Amino acid sequence: MSLILVQVIVGGLLLGAVYALFSSGLTLIWGMMNIVNFAHGDFVMLGMYVAFMVWTVLGVGPFVGAPVAALVLATLGIIVYFGLIRSVMKGPMLAQILGTFGLALLLRYSVFWGFGANFMTLPDNIVGGTFDVFGIRIQASRLLAGVVALLVTLGLHLLLTRTSLGSKMLAVAEDATAAQLMGIRPDTMQAIAWAIAAGATGIAGALIATFFYIAPTVGETLGIVAFVTVSLGGFGSVPGALVAGLLIGVIESVSAYEIGAIYKDIAVYSLFLCFLWFRPQGLMGKM
Amino acid sequence: MRRFLWPLVALALVIAYPLLFTTPFQQRLGALILLYAIAASAWNIVGGYAGQVSVGHVVFFGCGAYAAMAAYAHFGLPPLVGIPGGIIISVAIAAVIGVPTLRLSGHYFSMATIAVAELVRLIVTNTDYLGAAVGLSGPTVPRTVFDLSFTSALPYYYLFLLVLLTTLGITWWMANSRMGFYLRAIRDSERAARSLGAPASRTKLYAFMLSAGLTSVAGALYAMMFGFVDPESGLGILISVKMLIMAALGGAGLLFGPLVGAAILVPLEEISNNLLGGKGAGLTFVVYGAIIVLIARFQPGGILTLINRLWAGRSKTPETTVAAGATHAP
Amino acid sequence: MRLRHVLGLLCAAAISVALVGTASAQDKTVKIGGVYPLSGNAASAGAHGKAAIETAIDIINNAHPELGSLPLAKNAGLPGLGGAKVEVIFADNQGSPAVGQNQALRLITEEKVVALSGAYQSGITLTTSAISEKYGIPYVNGESVAANLTERGFKWFFRVTPVAADFAKIYLDFLKDMKAGGVKTDNVAIVHENTEYGTSVAGVIASVFKDNGLSIAQDIAYSANTTDVQSQVLQLKEKKPDVVIMVSYTSDAILYVKTMQSLDYKPPMLIADNSGFSDPSFIKAVGKIAQGVFNRSSWGVGPPGSTSFLINEMYKKKSGGDDLDDTSARQMQGFFVLCDAIDRAGSTEPDKIQAALKATDLKPDQLIMGYKGVKFDDKGQNILASGLVIQLQDGENYVPVWPKDRARTAPALPYKGW
Repeated sequence: MSLILVQVIVGGLLLGAVYALFSSGLTLIWGMMNIVNFAHGDFVMLGMYVAFMVWTVLGVGPFVGAPVAALVLATLGIIVYFGLIRSVMKGPMLAQILGTFGLALLLRYSVFWGFGANFMTLPDNIVGGTFDVFGIRIQASRLLAGVVALLVTLGLHLLLTRTSLGSKMLAVAEDATAAQLMGIRPDTMQAIAWAIAAGATGIAGALIATFFYIAPTVGETLGIVAFVTVSLGGFGSVPGALVAGLLIGVIESVSAYEIGAIYKDIAVYSLFLCFLWFRPQGLMGKM
Repeated sequence: MRRFLWPLVALALVIAYPLLFTTPFQQRLGALILLYAIAASAWNIVGGYAGQVSVGHVVFFGCGAYAAMAAYAHFGLPPLVGIPGGIIISVAIAAVIGVPTLRLSGHYFSMATIAVAELVRLIVTNTDYLGAAVGLSGPTVPRTVFDLSFTSALPYYYLFLLVLLTTLGITWWMANSRMGFYLRAIRDSERAARSLGAPASRTKLYAFMLSAGLTSVAGALYAMMFGFVDPESGLGILISVKMLIMAALGGAGLLFGPLVGAAILVPLEEISNNLLGGKGAGLTFVVYGAIIVLIARFQPGGILTLINRLWAGRSKTPETTVAAGATHAP
Repeated sequence: MRLRHVLGLLCAAAISVALVGTASAQDKTVKIGGVYPLSGNAASAGAHGKAAIETAIDIINNAHPELGSLPLAKNAGLPGLGGAKVEVIFADNQGSPAVGQNQALRLITEEKVVALSGAYQSGITLTTSAISEKYGIPYVNGESVAANLTERGFKWFFRVTPVAADFAKIYLDFLKDMKAGGVKTDNVAIVHENTEYGTSVAGVIASVFKDNGLSIAQDIAYSANTTDVQSQVLQLKEKKPDVVIMVSYTSDAILYVKTMQSLDYKPPMLIADNSGFSDPSFIKAVGKIAQGVFNRSSWGVGPPGSTSFLINEMYKKKSGGDDLDDTSARQMQGFFVLCDAIDRAGSTEPDKIQAALKATDLKPDQLIMGYKGVKFDDKGQNILASGLVIQLQDGENYVPVWPKDRARTAPALPYKGW
């Protein structure tokens, strides 16, 4: 196996970890509340801008930017939940798509209005540069994002399966009425779930900003990747999103290298459709 | 007889519209409203009546658009000739998507439609025969009236009106047929419907195929009016979302819901772009997005359900609208 | 049947259409329509173009004797129309050919503009100019390079900018010169995005090169607005071409340069085909790690006191501090050509403006761009358009480096990067 191919695969894994990172929030709410959030990509975008503001105002990088983004996004998540989601949750999927699509436009173009159309970036060495490991180049910022992706996946998984808060959230997801009868308040649990998911997405955005460009339209590009990752991993499965993300990242990288850049998206969608045909619940989802 | 008074008045007004509003822009706006209404009404068959939310419906729209333009670009024929081809391909694609996924819950179907639509767009972008990224153009100077390339929007308006009435007629016929009966039962409770012998998957599939064919006609009409189609304008995901939004905003599952939605959204987009777009701050979309959020929040069943409810208080017979099924959670 | 709501919708539609359909009052101004991407992915370019045109309007409408022989600068307003002012009504094409066409129609039939300018993206220029052709309204484009725009037999469409074939020729001659000076230029790779812009430009470069004995060793096409380009950079790193030509919009340009740094890849020579690499936000974001990239341009800021310097200073006030880049400068030039023609026509009648455009014969010192002049052939293409090669030597500013007689300094090779 040539060195370049190893580099391609390593690059794909790191890329995939990033995909997993910003998809974990989406799968959480999709699985828990059956909500299709068309504005997810724009939440990531907001996280990026928060990190940018932290850098511009305080001069510090993502170690401060990510927690701040998490808080800002979690707060926004709660506002959005009580303002919009709670009402459309009760409606058909169509109302959810309608509402979250409107939200996406609103968020995207408010940022456009406030920051303009220019592409921004954070300085290159904000998390350290690129280092060499046996001839493989690894970008510190992407490695950080990858590590955080693992931590976030682990954290969310433990939260859901090992804490009482988590089991309450799962109870509400399974059967809200029964949970209510057991003394759990579905509204509170769902708002918390939404806030946690938004916060995780904020962290993702803040980290991605260290190596990607920042622009209001980023949400469009990333949103659809998140949807495919979540579907492939299984709606509601955070570990599934991780595995799916890594798989998609590697397939994209390798097919772009071996066949051609144009075909990487075709390869991913084809894989995705195969799964839908033969194993719709995805890698780790439940039917 | 009184029942037909209102419908006839409304129809007369719609027919008279371009004769009352005569500036080219107003006529074109009217034609566009009708065109989008055709697409959204076609979507409504599977998205509203059958309750299967297709988010990749643009693939059928694009089939029709490309078929029409290819007929001209490669064979020199009037784009009209491409329409049957577009319909056949659309229906085939619908069958390929529908057979495996309609037996699963809604989310899988929706994701499958997005994936197929994006896949087709990517393939077309890299297929030189279909113009690749540059797209295909129609006749710049019309050779005969069948080329349907008019300078004025007036002929388009009446053509689209005809097609819309046909589409709505087909929808109405379907809703009142056995298929419509099954669809209502499935929407209320699929499990119960199946246990009573309704062929759920097959019915949903037929609705999907019907919807696909009609959507491709809308796509062909679009291509003829604009004289051009490329992967972004013919297969971009934004078009799927627009169809969906118009039907949902107006009232999914209601016969005139998509028309109401189109009549609100198309002028809204134009006005906000005209007033705010030139400033370049993206305010058009802020306003647009905010309005959609408000409607979704306060009237998720669509504007039409609101209007119906307001009128229901006044009419003699209580309404039993199809909307009742549309507001059920999946 | 629920037809009462049909009435309701008709009322709503009627009201909104009536609102939309009010034409504005006419006074002593010449109204021109400008269709540009003011939202969506190309919004950065559209915003800069708008600032450029607003600068041009300022120059035309107010007296600027310090700008020398630039037509229409000396006096306030258009002298040929008794000092009438120029007004531009901007419309957002939202990156969509359909929206662009609708807006063009609105500008022509509702706002009654006498001419159109725009629309940046070649695909949108295609559809918007089709409308102006149908209505017999002059359309002057300063920046779209797709070849087919002037191949439609249109009578009302005029294009001021050089086209892809011109640029390909510039690159070819530049590479030949470099080779004569001892630089290796045998293996050329083209990396291009696969929408209309990238595909058509890359195709033209490939065929012009082939016709002149230089072939393309690697042709890497990628989807615009992609999330990752590592594999593409690795493909380049593996094949080691002597020259890499990039045809990208801003977002991908930034991504490529960043990825090249992280993968430690420096092509011996990197040439960018304008667009993304000229965008001020590209320079601000990653200029420092793209030092030495070549670009094509027909615009350069001259020494202090020169016309181009003064115009740049005026532009900076409207653009929030960004320097005038080549694309926006070409838009500005197209606009000046249009206004000059209206002025010479002495009238706002489309036929007269069209005739004046056909008769355009501007000399180099009457332009802000470095063209050899402006003169349209019968397809509407400016046959005197030309360009030169510029280089981002310090990571902050582009300087002209070729041809020798227009260069400020010599080309710096190999590519420095960071």
